Amino acid sequence: MTPPPLEQSLITFDNVSRFYGEVLGVNRVTLSIPPGITSLVGPNGSGKTTLMNLMTALVRPTRGSIRILGITPHQPEKLFALLGYSTQFDAFPKGLTGFQFIYSFLRLFGKPHLECERLASQAIERVNLAEAAHRKIAGYSKGMRQRIKLAQAIAHDPRVLVLDEPLNGLDPLVRAETIAMFRELANQGRHVIVSSHILHEVDMISDQVILLSNGYVVAEGKISGVRSEIRDQPMQVLIRCNRPSALAAKVFDEDSVVEARLHSDGGGLLIKTRDADKFYRLLNHIALNGIEIETVAPADDNVNSVYEYLIGEEPQK
Amino acid sequence: MAVYKRTYKSYDGPLTPAWSRWMIVTRFSYSRLVGFKTNLFLLACLVPAVGFAAYIYLAHNAAVLKSFGGNFASALSIDGKFFFNFCTFQIGLAYLLVAFTGPALVSPDVVNNAMPLYFCRPFSRSEYVAGKMAVLVYLLSLITWVPALVLFALQSSLAGWEWTRANFWIAGAVILAPLISIAILSLIAMAVSAWIKWRAAAGAVILGVFFLGAGFGSAINAVMRTHYGSLINLSQVLNTVWAGVFRQNLDTGLDVLDAWNALAGASLICLWLLFKKVRAFEVVK
Amino acid sequence: MNWQLWLAQIRAVVRLEMRKTFLSRRGLWVYLLAAAPVLLFFGRTVDVMRSREWFDTSVAPHAVSRAALESIQPGANLEDVEARLGEPYSRRVFQSRRHSQTWLSYTDGSNTYTFRFSDGTLEGVSTRDRANFQDDALIYATFFQFFYLRLLIFFGCVGIFVNLFRGEMMNKSLHFYLLAPVRREVLVAGKFVAGLIAASVIFCTSTALQLWMFSIPFHATIESLHAANYIGVTALACLGYGSVFLAAGLIAVNPLLPAAIVLLWEAANLFLPSALKKISIIFYLQSLCPVLAPPEKDMNPLLALLVNSAEPTPAALAILGLLAVTALVLTWSAFRARKLEINYSSD
Repeated sequence: MTPPPLEQSLITFDNVSRFYGEVLGVNRVTLSIPPGITSLVGPNGSGKTTLMNLMTALVRPTRGSIRILGITPHQPEKLFALLGYSTQFDAFPKGLTGFQFIYSFLRLFGKPHLECERLASQAIERVNLAEAAHRKIAGYSKGMRQRIKLAQAIAHDPRVLVLDEPLNGLDPLVRAETIAMFRELANQGRHVIVSSHILHEVDMISDQVILLSNGYVVAEGKISGVRSEIRDQPMQVLIRCNRPSALAAKVFDEDSVVEARLHSDGGGLLIKTRDADKFYRLLNHIALNGIEIETVAPADDNVNSVYEYLIGEEPQK
Repeated sequence: MAVYKRTYKSYDGPLTPAWSRWMIVTRFSYSRLVGFKTNLFLLACLVPAVGFAAYIYLAHNAAVLKSFGGNFASALSIDGKFFFNFCTFQIGLAYLLVAFTGPALVSPDVVNNAMPLYFCRPFSRSEYVAGKMAVLVYLLSLITWVPALVLFALQSSLAGWEWTRANFWIAGAVILAPLISIAILSLIAMAVSAWIKWRAAAGAVILGVFFLGAGFGSAINAVMRTHYGSLINLSQVLNTVWAGVFRQNLDTGLDVLDAWNALAGASLICLWLLFKKVRAFEVVK
Repeated sequence: MNWQLWLAQIRAVVRLEMRKTFLSRRGLWVYLLAAAPVLLFFGRTVDVMRSREWFDTSVAPHAVSRAALESIQPGANLEDVEARLGEPYSRRVFQSRRHSQTWLSYTDGSNTYTFRFSDGTLEGVSTRDRANFQDDALIYATFFQFFYLRLLIFFGCVGIFVNLFRGEMMNKSLHFYLLAPVRREVLVAGKFVAGLIAASVIFCTSTALQLWMFSIPFHATIESLHAANYIGVTALACLGYGSVFLAAGLIAVNPLLPAAIVLLWEAANLFLPSALKKISIIFYLQSLCPVLAPPEKDMNPLLALLVNSAEPTPAALAILGLLAVTALVLTWSAFRARKLEINYSSD
């Protein structure tokens, strides 16, 4: 039976569990990942890499099933023609140059010599490693090794890109270039699945996040959506205005506001409220009554805050 | 220039005496190396000693022997050959123990670049080698000359002073011969462990040194029509040395002097290999 | 069935593996294993040529009767021996502070006898036959079956084939293969072919060089040396042992254990029931050897443990049997490879 078209554009986990002996890898994961940049976030040992390895058949689920654009991980000929995976392992086949490494593994696709040469050169140029392409990988720096892995993952132009800590070891400039590349790939309608510890980067690049803790998926979706679901933590709103004390006095009339903290420069305040929608309506009313409001911005509508609320601590770097 | 309050105070408590500092390596290596499986193997290695002890007991208990019928008493003799056979069997087990435990001695330190950490302390290369080697010497002694000496004591107690006085050299032989083998086995294991990072491969090489040495030695003897090929057959070399130590008239096909020279050569090669790797720095080519 | 793609993929795997197998420092010892017998036969050739010339010009004129030489027993006195046998063609004396050692060498015209005296008393005699083709062909057959096949090729294949999967796991680079659009069965086939090419090239070259060295003193022909048979058996040994050790590298974290088990299984071949005998590599290989060699009578016990002759079976059957065993083991390996997971931390 041909899978329906929607399934062919999604990565799905259906009640997937994986145990390593008695140790839990991931448990009862049910997910549906659409195209775009999806970040896997969680502390060490939370199951991020296991989830990626399950997706790419490097490990098998103890229970449940996985489909990547309608293909099961046990069809390598089909799956890896459209998926590229840059793992966390910092090891390479011995004695190869960067170019030979990418070229040799492209040959496994059954592509002819010239086509493999073209694709290898193209991928290497894309990660800005052209100058070092013909040097042995053993002599590469950490950042160069990271880039050559990335080049290998994208060389065959995959529709799904799975990247385990892809920004590790990259300098700020290359980091920015790499993030721009992820965005470009995502804009082309591809899946870019990234695991990262660096929350502000996750915040910057992700279309959606999957938060993991102890092998369980704690939250998934767009950051703002996830944040609004966390009702036990008051929303924080940052307001810059000309009379913050007056504004504070006015908003305290509202039951849903639980805290207001004035900025030390006297030019703004931080409000904590249990009902953001109601608060914004109130703010509109106040603005019409003589207080000049410069900016209003949610202060904890980011991965960092969501992570703190749901998992409780900063991820280990 | 800023002057900060000096808060760091170096340790000024008692130090391990310099002469026994190498034993620290022994203690740590031992605790890492010896687990349940090794202990079980050591225990199993002592089972033959029980059999040999029973043999001694039977040889001294005519009443028990009579119950079996026949004249067993004259057949059961306890002499140099008896202890030679016991030690030969035990050293075979020691060889297996070395093949499985020896590879984990030095290689983890080489793989994890731990050598500079050892040698940036007041700790010499010889002390490192002695410390590591002591682990194997201890383990192998437990299953070779220690039970042999116990058997000798048992035999002495049952046979009386006359026998003991006449055969006191056996006590020296059961200590000396296994110690020679233990020394060469330990050196081979450590040299291999220093050069081969993968434990399984190192174990295979330790086995291969003896099997391939025996095979290639025989091949050299056959093809070149000589007996000098036996010099690379370490089991034959050790057998020749042992025959001398145990005063056994065995035709091993080798001169005792040649055998000692071969052992010295093998030991020097192992020490050279070992000291090439056991150093504070790694030359990256 | 996409045979064309699979063949291209096998070729790509072979290309990748060749560099690793032929050029890596880790594989250097396999070259040493293959070179050792070549050096041995080179030494022997030099020795035979040199001693033949020396014997004919210097020693043969001093021949003593064999009966007289064999009548000398250990314990004899140095002067008595010289009185009975006459002047030796060679005399060596080693004098230390306490002892003296003397070696006297005689010949019966074809063999040499060296008498070793310690402080003037005979301690031992060593005899050395002169080289002749028939005897030496048997010596080569013994060497080939009991040393080259059972030990050198055996351990060489352990080194090459175990490394194909287990070595990659140790190196943490196997995942690159598993993340390529290649069926696991095709990967197993590609790696096996790569290992087979490497092992065959290394060991068949060694066999050919050994036979060439062996033939020089006798001016022997290729037919009389059975060169094709020996090289063929070498290649089949690589095929058979290769499949076994590829499988061992796939299943065992420590392949030393399966290697030791296979070594013992092969050694115990003679004592196995006939049905079980056929589940071994050495059974078929020995059946294919052109000269059947008996085990040496005074062989070292450690080596004797490894040496047991297999009953010969017809050549065609032996080749088919070996191919069948190989196919069986490879099929099983492919089945295992399909379930292979990457868990480097536990290796």
